[in-house]
Order: sequence, then C-alpha cells, then structure tokens
Amino acid sequence: MDIKKAVGVYHRNLLIAIGALLAVFIAIPMIVKTPYIINIFVLVFYISTMSMAWNILGGMTGQNSLGLAAYMGIGAYTVCLVVTKLNWNPWAVSILAMLVTAFIAGVIFFPCFILQGPYFTLVSIAFAESMRQFIINSEFFGRASGVGLPFGPDSFLQFRFTSKVPYYYAGLIMMIAVYAIMKKIDNTKIGYALKTIREDEDAAAAIGINPTKYKVIAVVISAMVAGFVGFFYASYIRYIDPDLMVQAKSTEFVLPAVVGGAAFVEGPLVGGLIMIPLSEFLRANYARVLPGINMIMYAIVLLVVIRFRPSGILGWYMESKFKKFIDEKILKKPSLDVLEQYELMNYGSRKEA
Amino acid sequence: MDLFLQALINGILLGGFYALMGMGQNIIFGVMKIVNFCHGEMLMVGMYLTFLLYTFVGIDPYLALPLVALMMFGLGALIQHTLITPSLKTKSFTNLLFLTVGLGLLLSNGALVLFGSDYKSIRTSYSQTTLQLGLVSIALPKLISFCVLIVVTIVLFIFLKNTTTGKQIRAVSQNPVGAEVCGINVKRIYLLTYGLGIALAGMAGCLLTQFYSIFPTAGAGFGFRALIVVVVGGLGSIPGAFFAGILLGLLEQMSALFISPSYSDMIVFITFIVILVARQLIIMRRR
Repeated sequence: MDIKKAVGVYHRNLLIAIGALLAVFIAIPMIVKTPYIINIFVLVFYISTMSMAWNILGGMTGQNSLGLAAYMGIGAYTVCLVVTKLNWNPWAVSILAMLVTAFIAGVIFFPCFILQGPYFTLVSIAFAESMRQFIINSEFFGRASGVGLPFGPDSFLQFRFTSKVPYYYAGLIMMIAVYAIMKKIDNTKIGYALKTIREDEDAAAAIGINPTKYKVIAVVISAMVAGFVGFFYASYIRYIDPDLMVQAKSTEFVLPAVVGGAAFVEGPLVGGLIMIPLSEFLRANYARVLPGINMIMYAIVLLVVIRFRPSGILGWYMESKFKKFIDEKILKKPSLDVLEQYELMNYGSRKEA
Repeated sequence: MDLFLQALINGILLGGFYALMGMGQNIIFGVMKIVNFCHGEMLMVGMYLTFLLYTFVGIDPYLALPLVALMMFGLGALIQHTLITPSLKTKSFTNLLFLTVGLGLLLSNGALVLFGSDYKSIRTSYSQTTLQLGLVSIALPKLISFCVLIVVTIVLFIFLKNTTTGKQIRAVSQNPVGAEVCGINVKRIYLLTYGLGIALAGMAGCLLTQFYSIFPTAGAGFGFRALIVVVVGGLGSIPGAFFAGILLGLLEQMSALFISPSYSDMIVFITFIVILVARQLIIMRRR
C-alpha cells in the first residue's frame, strides 16, 4: 500500500517533531536555572492559555470580547476567598471557580447575547468594568487592597511552592490540556457551528444552528478556562487585587491571538511564544530608561501585523514557501489528493467493520 | 438644594465633554462602522499638544484650540490613510478593532516615554476664576468650554445637514457602495470623517487642560464614555450625541450625590448595559 506507507511516514515525522518540541519544553527548567527565565515561561503559558480562551470566542465565533480579564479575576477571587475563609483545598476550589465563572458568563451575562458585532464588544467591556467596580466597592472582596493566599511550607495539595519550577510544569500541562480541548472543539460539530456563526450569523440561523445556544457554549467555555487560569495565577502570585481585572489586561490577553493568527487554534501559542519573551526582555532592559517601551513594541508589532499580514503570523506561515519546504522535505507530507484517498480508504474500511 | 443645583450644573458642564467626545466617535462609528478604541488617547494627545503649545510657544489654551484641532485633523487623516483604509478591505471587524486598540496602546505609551508619568497642568491667569450665580458657583474655564461645545455642535449640525461634503458624509454612512456609484470619493470621505472625529477629540482635550491634570492615561475614562454617548444618542445623530453626553454627565453627578461617589462609575456601566440590551430588544421587536 503506497498511500498508507506515505501517510504513515508523514504521521511518524509529525509525531517526532511534536515530541521534540515537547522535550525541549520539558528540558528547559533542567538546563536553565534562572528564576527570571522560568518566570517568563510561566507568563507565556498562562497568557497563551488566556489567549486561547479568548480565541474560541473571538477567533472562532467572531464575538470580540474585551472583558476576559474579569473572568480570570473572578476565578482568582473565588479561590483566594474560599481558601482563606473556608479553608478548602485549592484544587477543589479550582472546580468551584470554574463553576462560578461559568455561572456568571452563562446566566448573568445571558441577556447580552442578543447583541452583535461592536455592541457585543462594548457590553463585554462594560460588564467586566462593572464587575471590577463591584469588587472595589465591596468589603467582602477586600476592596481595592485585594486578598492574599496563606503562606506556608511547600505542598502539592495546597499548590504552594517556593520554587518556580513546579509552576512551570503545571502551566505547561494547563496550556497543553487547554490546547487539546480547543483542537478537539475545532474539529467537532460545535467548532463548525461556531465558525459558521463567525462567517454569517443569519445564515447560520437559517440552516438550523441556534446562534444564541452556541454563543453561550463558547462564552462559558472561555470563561471556565479563564476561571481556571485565575486559580493558577492566584496560586502563583499568591496575592490578587482588582487591578487584575482592568481592561488593559484583557487587551493584553487578546494580543497574542491576533498577532499569532486568530483564525487558528495554534495562533495564541505562536503569538504568545514570540511576543511575551520579547516584551519581558524589553521591560527588563529598557523600562528604567524608557517606561512603557515594551507596550510600544507590542503596539507596533500589532499594527504591522494587522496592516501587512491581516491573518497573523500563522496565516503568513501557512502561505509561505517555508511551510512548503518543511512539509515536503522534513515532514515528507504527501500531496493533498493522496491524503484524501487515504481518508476515503479509512472511511471505507471503517464502514466495512 | 444648593448641593443639588451645584451637582446639576457640574453634571451639565461635565456632560459637555462627553458630548464633544461622543460626537467625534459618532461620526467615525456612523460612517465606517468601526469602534474607535483610541478615542480617549486622542483626547490625551490633544491635551499634550495644548500643553506643549502653552509652555514652549506661549499660546493661550483657548487660542490654541483651532491650531490643535487642525493638527489633530492631520494626525487623524494620516492614520486613516496609512492604516485604516488599507485594512478596511479585509472586512475583518476583529482586525479593525485591534488596529485602533493598538494605536491607543502606542499613543498612551508613547506619551509615557516622551513626557513621563507625572501629572502636568496648565495654569493661566483665569483658570481659578469662578462666577457666582445665585446659589451655585461655576468655574470660568468650564463655562467657556461649554459655550465652545454649543458652537461646535451647531456648526457641525449645519455642516452635516447643508453642505455638499456633509451630505456626502451622510450618504456614505448610509450606504458606501451606493455612494461610490453616485460618484462620491468614498476614501476621501473616510479621510475627512476620521480626521474630523479625531479633531473633535483633540478639541475636547484642549478645553480640558484648564482644570484637569495631563497624564498619559487621562483619556481612558472619556474614551469609553464617548462610546456610551454614541449608543445612547443614536448613530449619526449630532443632537442625540449632545443630549446623551449631558445626560451621562448628569447621571454621573447625581448618582455621586444621591448614592455614593465610589459607585458612580459602576452605575454608569450598568445603566449602559441595560440601555444596550433594551435597545436591541426594541430593534428585534420591530422586525
């Protein structure tokens, strides 16, 4: 079977490439001992995860939310408050945090789903900002001074470590898990429904996709991921305040997705891996002389990407000769019609069985 | 009672700025259907321009007003020509949205690099003058700003209603393809509207310098309120934006007076959400 062999070689090469990438990430903390570098990678992991959470709503469904930081804040606040006041285990509370954010996104935010286009963006900002104002004004949430998590000896059960390395691995696992979920969603009925809504909401409704239902699903998934990242953030920083929920943070979470390519599941990862280390490098080296230089770089990269490569870095890569080279020479990807025949063959054998 | 009257006057005067910002945003949003997320930053740029003109050239802030408006118009037209018009072709709302967000980031952080994060202010001989009108006192600069606002509103209204260019702008806002078929240069109109919108934001910034500190994030609150004004006042309506701005200023001052100053932001945002949802419900009912 020629076709089977060719596809088999391609799949093997792809697996090797992914495995090598994973091995590099696993090996980084063993080689690099500087906490500063590890910290940058933890940032990359959780910001990329947030960016993926935005991507299911903004990139896939076309609903540009600019209030994701509020959900992360709600998750972080749930964790901090329940752990300090009721003494629950943080891991159990992380589930609770996801449920709380899902409730807020699915039930309290529900009337806002009738809004479309720019109005949805506006309502997401207003919603996030009113939640932040609520927390600032509430005694229970510790007002503007915020709340902290208890300190103590290292323990896995409390998700509390002095070293940054355990957070590195936890963040890596979180990012890969969320990526796997997003990839899965991308290839299922929900993913196709979401993409149909992005292209044309009225047409989607006409062919029997209930836009509201799928938008609620997208918002709830994105809020739950944000809630979990909130748990991760609170455990990592161990202290949170309402500044976590400002709109600038929401924007920061969106930028990796837009720069990397919002139409792709991998976009946020690519954008995050490129942008965040660059931004942190500039912040560390030049912020004393030129405050805000890292954000200027961020803004310029964003403007250049949108102006010249509207589909993002990944969209650019997809069309480039470089990808063709990698596909043909390194991965030995068979031509598209061979892949198609392979699919048909598999489909046939599955049918027989 | 005099507290109430004072809050009323303050609300109206504060609302004037929201109205001015809202009109600029309204023209941009109405014509190009893009939300200009760097509107607040444009106000900040206008403030710094006035500050520079005052400290280095010695031009009085009110005399600088037309100059600032002209410079901001140029800046807006430049941005439109180099960034927004080419991106309009992609028809991607996400990209246009983040284009303006990126511009906002660039401007506010650029100001941070150029001027530092410390608060600057302009003090002229008359900036502390107050007029006593019965029970209430009004700061003179605020009153002048409000008069300027009324003049601008009337001029803008007449411009959009009666001049050829104004009619072209309204035509493009209703149907860009149809307007192009009729021989209107749509790109030129886009250039004009974005410049005009930015110029209005710059004027608001220029007027604000007399009693507001100048710092890189000064425009953030105003920027979002301008969007509220657009939604509440209705697309493309100059009088609507005027009254919505004043209403918003009143709402803020009244909720600060009757409920609590710390809740006034939250009340504004929640009212906005309610209005947005109610508005959409009404539109859906009509269909």
